[in-house]
Amino acid sequence: MSTAASYLSAVSEADARARAHGGTPNSTPALSLSSSLTGSSEDTVLDDTGADVVDALLYPRVPPTSEQVFTTVHTEFGHCANEKYRFTSQHRAGTPYKSNPEQDPPYYIVLTTYLSYLMVICLGHLRDFIGKRMRPSRYKHLMAQNGYAALNSDFDSFYTRRLKTRIDDCFSHPVTGVPGRTIVLLDRYSPDYNVTMIPTGTRTRALNISSYNYLGFAQGKGACADAVEESVIRYGVCAGGTRLEGGTLDLHLQAEALVARFIGMEDALISSMGFATNSTIIPALVTKGCLVVSDEYNHASIRYGVRLSGASVRMFKHNDMQSLETLLREVISQGQPKTHRPWKKILLIVEGLYSMEGTLVNLPVVMELKKKYKFYLFIDEAHSIGALGPHGRGVADYFGINPRSIDILMGTFTKSFGAAGGYIAGNKALVDRLRLRGHSGTYAEAMAPPVLTQVIASMSSIMGVTIPVEKSSSPALPLLRASSVDTHVSEFEPECAYPGTAPVSALPVWMPLAPTLVDGSDGQMRLRRLAFNTRYLNRGLRKLGFITYGHDDSPVVPLLLFGPGKMAVFSRMMRTRATPIVIVVVAYPATPLVLSRVRFCLSAAHTKEDVDMVLTACDEIGDFLDLKHGAGERWPLQEIIDRAVELVNMPEAP
Amino acid sequence: MSGTTSTLEPLFTFVTSSYAALETNFFKIPGSAVVARYVKSSHQNDPGRTLLEVILIIFAVRTLLQSRTRADHSGKHFIQFDEKEIDDLVDEWTPEPLAQPLTQQEKADLACAPIIVGPNGPKPKLSTGKTVTNLASYNFTGLSGNTIIKERAIETLRKYGLGSCGPPGFYGTQDVHIQLERDIADFLGTEAAILYSQAFSTISSAIPAFCKRGDVIVADRGVNFAIQKGLQISRCTVRWYDHNDLESLEQVLESVEKERRKKKAPLTRRFIVTEGIFDHDGAMSDLPKLVELKEKYKYRLILDESVSFGSVGRTGRGLTELYNVPASQVDMLVGSVANGLSSCGGFCAGSHVVVNHQRINGTSFVFSASMPATLSVAASEGINILRNTPSILSTLQDNVRAVRAVLDRVECISIPSHSASPIIHINIRWPSPATLQLPSATSSPTKPSNPLSVLPRDPPQFDVELEERLLQDVVDEALAQGVMITRARRLRGQELVDVRPSVRLAISAALTRKECEKAANTVKAAFVKVLGKRR
Ligand SMILES: Cc1ncc(COP(=O)(O)O)c(C=O)c1O
Repeated sequence: MSTAASYLSAVSEADARARAHGGTPNSTPALSLSSSLTGSSEDTVLDDTGADVVDALLYPRVPPTSEQVFTTVHTEFGHCANEKYRFTSQHRAGTPYKSNPEQDPPYYIVLTTYLSYLMVICLGHLRDFIGKRMRPSRYKHLMAQNGYAALNSDFDSFYTRRLKTRIDDCFSHPVTGVPGRTIVLLDRYSPDYNVTMIPTGTRTRALNISSYNYLGFAQGKGACADAVEESVIRYGVCAGGTRLEGGTLDLHLQAEALVARFIGMEDALISSMGFATNSTIIPALVTKGCLVVSDEYNHASIRYGVRLSGASVRMFKHNDMQSLETLLREVISQGQPKTHRPWKKILLIVEGLYSMEGTLVNLPVVMELKKKYKFYLFIDEAHSIGALGPHGRGVADYFGINPRSIDILMGTFTKSFGAAGGYIAGNKALVDRLRLRGHSGTYAEAMAPPVLTQVIASMSSIMGVTIPVEKSSSPALPLLRASSVDTHVSEFEPECAYPGTAPVSALPVWMPLAPTLVDGSDGQMRLRRLAFNTRYLNRGLRKLGFITYGHDDSPVVPLLLFGPGKMAVFSRMMRTRATPIVIVVVAYPATPLVLSRVRFCLSAAHTKEDVDMVLTACDEIGDFLDLKHGAGERWPLQEIIDRAVELVNMPEAP
Repeated sequence: MSGTTSTLEPLFTFVTSSYAALETNFFKIPGSAVVARYVKSSHQNDPGRTLLEVILIIFAVRTLLQSRTRADHSGKHFIQFDEKEIDDLVDEWTPEPLAQPLTQQEKADLACAPIIVGPNGPKPKLSTGKTVTNLASYNFTGLSGNTIIKERAIETLRKYGLGSCGPPGFYGTQDVHIQLERDIADFLGTEAAILYSQAFSTISSAIPAFCKRGDVIVADRGVNFAIQKGLQISRCTVRWYDHNDLESLEQVLESVEKERRKKKAPLTRRFIVTEGIFDHDGAMSDLPKLVELKEKYKYRLILDESVSFGSVGRTGRGLTELYNVPASQVDMLVGSVANGLSSCGGFCAGSHVVVNHQRINGTSFVFSASMPATLSVAASEGINILRNTPSILSTLQDNVRAVRAVLDRVECISIPSHSASPIIHINIRWPSPATLQLPSATSSPTKPSNPLSVLPRDPPQFDVELEERLLQDVVDEALAQGVMITRARRLRGQELVDVRPSVRLAISAALTRKECEKAANTVKAAFVKVLGKRR
C-alpha cells in the first residue's frame, strides 16, 4: 500500500513543517502582524502602523476635550459625546404600524435589470457551450467521470459559476481584528476573474457598516472583554459535552436565568448556535398534525426546523396581515388536508426584524389575530433583541406589549450581544420540555464559558445591576438552588419587574463590575445611539432620493439597487473610497430576482460623522449609478447633515 | 383538407389583423425599433438563441407573476364555507396545549444531569459541593483547561473581541478561521476543510448540501442522530445496512446496483454514510474495508469522525491515522472540534471541490455566524499540542485499556464498544438466554434485513424503562462514590431505531492510570451493587 506510506511521510512532513514554524501554527504572519494594530490597546486611539492608515477612521473629527474621557477604542466603538445624537427606539402608542411603502422603480430600470440577467445567463450558457468543447478539463468536476456522478452538476451550479462568480469579490472577504465600528480587510486580488483569490498581504481598515454589531459589543476592550478574560482564566474555553451528559456548568444556569429575566419570560434555555436553536428546537414544538404558519421571508434556520418537525407548513405574504388572516380562516375552517380533522395546534412563526427587508413584524395586529384565532406565537428575535425598544428588549418592548402574552421568544446572541448561540424563552413547563425534547440538550455541545460570560456581561450592561445594601448570605453560589431544577428562575426576588435590572446575585461573583455597567448608563447610551443612527441613516437615504425598504427604526437598512451589475460596482466603489466603507450586497436567491440590494447594518459604535460619511458616499455613488428613484421630498446632502437631529426627531418623515 | 382551410380562414384574417395592430402599436413605443432590429438580427444569426431568450422571458414573467403564498383552493378536497360558518369553526376550534408539563419521570430525567461549579475537567466540583472524578464529559486529550490554550485565547480575545458578528459570507470570515481550516486540513492530510460553528449541525448540513432527491445513500442502521436528521432533510433515497456489518453493506451495494441496471436509471450521486466510532455504542468501523467497498462500487464515503477525531490514532488524527488510510480517500470527513479539540464547532474535510461546494450550499454554514475567534484559535492551538505531544494519545489509550481491563471481566454487563474506543458504552447483561444476544450483527442471519427499512430483521428486545431506571441507579451510586458518569442520553421516540440503554463513559488523558483504574472499579462496584440486588 504505497499510498499509506506516502501518506505517513506526508503527515510527518506536515508535523515537521509546523514545528519549524516555532511551535504555534497559528502564530501566523496574520496574527503577529495584527498585533501591531491593536498592540497599544491602552491608548484610546490605536497606532495603526501596520495597515493603510486612514485618519478619518482612527481619530474623531473633533478631538475630545479635556473633561471627556472615553474608555473605548475609537476604531472599535466611536467616540460620541454629543447628547443630541441620541434617540429612543419606541413605537408611538395608538398609531398603527407602518413600514415605508415599497416603491417601484421606473420601468426602464426593471427592464434593464431583466435584460442584464438575460445577458449574463445567455453569456454564461455560451461560455459553457464553448468551454466544454475547448477546455474540457475545466469542466471535468462537473461531469460524471469514471463511474461517479458529478458532485455538483454543471446545471445545478450554473448560477454560482456564471453569475455569482462575477461578483465574488464582494462576498466572503477575509477580515481580521474586532468587527466593530471599523474592520480590517485582508486585501486580496484575483488573477482569473474571481475563480481564485490571492491575498496580497496588505490590509485596509474600513468603516464597517455590515457586521451585526447593533449595540457595539464587538469590542476587544471594555467591561465585557474584561469579564470574558476572567472567565477564560477560571473556566478555560470548553464546557465539555452536551447539556444533559456532563456539560452543564453553573454559568449555564446563571446565563439562562438572566436571559429569562432580560426577556421578561418565566424561563429560558440557551443553545450553542443560533441556527441550531431554530433547527433543533422547532421539531420539539410541533409534530405531524400541527400546522406552522410561516412568513414567506422567514430565515433558513426556521424552514430547516419546520421541515424536520414533520408539521404542515403554509406561508403568507411577507408581513401582510390581510393575507395572514385570510390564510388563518382558511386553514382553521378546512382543517387538515384530506381528513379535515382539526389541527392539533397552529404555530405562527415570524421574525421580529427581517434582516433582508428591514421590516418589523406588525405585532399589535398579530396579537389581535392571536386572540381571535388561538394560534401559538413564535417570534424569532435574532435581529431585534437588543436592537429595538426603549430597553433593548426587542419587538415586544418596542410596541409596548407584555412579552408573556407571547408564547415563545427566540433570539440569538450573535448580533446585539457580540457573542454566539441562541435562546428560547417561554413559560417554565414549555422550556423544560424543550430542554428535554429539543435535539440540542441531548446531542449538541453546550455553550462555551467565554461565550456565556459575554452574554451575561453584555446583557447586564444593558439592564444595569442592582446591588442590595446588605450582602447576600451565600454569595458564592447564588444560583445553585437551581440544582433542584424546579425552582431556578422563580426564586428571584418577587419584584422582578420587567424590564428591570439584573440583581447582582444573578451574576457570577468573580465578574468585574464596571461602574457604567452597574448603573446601566453604558447600555442606555448604546441603545440610544443606535436608535439615533438608525433613524438618521434611514431618513437621510430617503431624503437623498434612494428607494429603501423597511421601517425607520430598523437598524437594518436595505437600499435597493435592482441591477445585478450595480451591486458589484457599488460594493467596489465603497471599498475603494479614500475612506473605505465595507457593505453587504445581497441578490437572488436571498431576495427576489430583480430586487438586489445593499444592506447596511447600523451600530451604536458608529458616530454621527460615520453616518454622514456613509450618506456622502451613497450620494456620490447613487448619482453615478442612477439609483435615486425614490418619491417624496428631497434634501441636498449638506442640509441632511446639518439638520440631522431635526430629521431624526420628526414624528413622521415628511 | 380545403374544407378545414376555409373554416380557418376567418381565424387567419383575425390573427393577421391583430398582428398588424400589435406591430403598429409596438413601433409607437420609443426605442422599439432597436429592439426589433436586435431580435431580427439575432434570430438571423442564431435561431436557437431566440428560442432560448423567449423561453427565458416567459420564465421570468412566470416567476414574477407566481405568488409563493397562493392559497390552494383548487384541490378537490376544498370545502366552500361562508364567512359565518368560518367564524363558527374558528370559535369552535380549541388547540392542544403547546406543551404538556413534565411528568414526574421526565422531571427526574432533567434533574439528574449534574451541574458543575467552576471549570469542567478531570476533577470537577459539583453543585452538591463534592469533587468527583469525571468519566462523563468529553475531554479525551485533556486539552480543556490547558494553560497555553487559555493564554492564546485571551490574547485573541483582546485582538478580535468575542463574537464574529456575521456569517462567513458577510465579513464573518476572519483570518483565524482560515488558519484553523488550514490547520485541520494539514493535520488530516486533506486538500481543504470547512468550519461550522456547531458540531451537531455540521453533518446535518453537509449531507443535504450534496445529496438531493434522487441520489442514493447507503447508511449504517446505527448512525447518530445528527446524521439521521441530515438524511431526513436531504430527501434522497436511503438504503440501510446492518450496524457495522460490512458484508451486509456489500449486499446492499450490490442490490442497489442491480436495481439501477434493471431500471436503466441514470447515474446519480451515491454515498455511503457511516461513523468512525459510533456515538451510539462505541463500535468502530473497519475503514480499509469500507474504502475498498466504496471504490469497488464507486460510492463516495461520508465518514463522521465526531468521536474518533482527536481520540484515536498516534496523534489523534482519527481513524485514518489508526488504519493508515490516507484521509484523501475519505471523500467527506466530518469531525467535531468541540469534542476532539475541546473548543466548539465542527468541520468537514475533503477536496477543494467538496469544501467549496459547502461554502455555498451548507445551510448552517451560510446562514449562521462563524464561530468566535477565540475558540477558533483555541482549537488551532489544540492541534498544535496534539502534533507535538504524541504521549497524550498513548496515555489516553493506556487509560482506556486500564478501564477496559476492569470492566471487561464484569459479568452483569456487556460492552459493545471497540477496545480502543475512548467512549465506552455499558449495557446491562441479563442472565436469561432470550435476551443474552447482543444487538451486534455478527451472527450473520440467514435472511438479510430489508434495506428499505431502517429496522433490522430481528431487532433486539429490551425493556427501555426498566434498563434506564437501573442504569440511573448505577449512575447515582457511582456519583455517591465520587465518580461522575452518565447514561447515554437519547431522544427516545425520535431516534429511528431505538437504541439499547447504556451508561457512557468518556475516558480522558488528563487522568492518571491509577485514577482510571480506581474509577473503573467504582463503576464496577456500582453495577454489581445495583444489578446484584435484582438477582
Ligand atoms: C432570523 C434569524 N434566525 C437565526 C439566525 C441564526 O443565528 P446564528 O448566526 O447565531 O446561527 C439568523 C442569523 O442570521 C437570523 O437572521
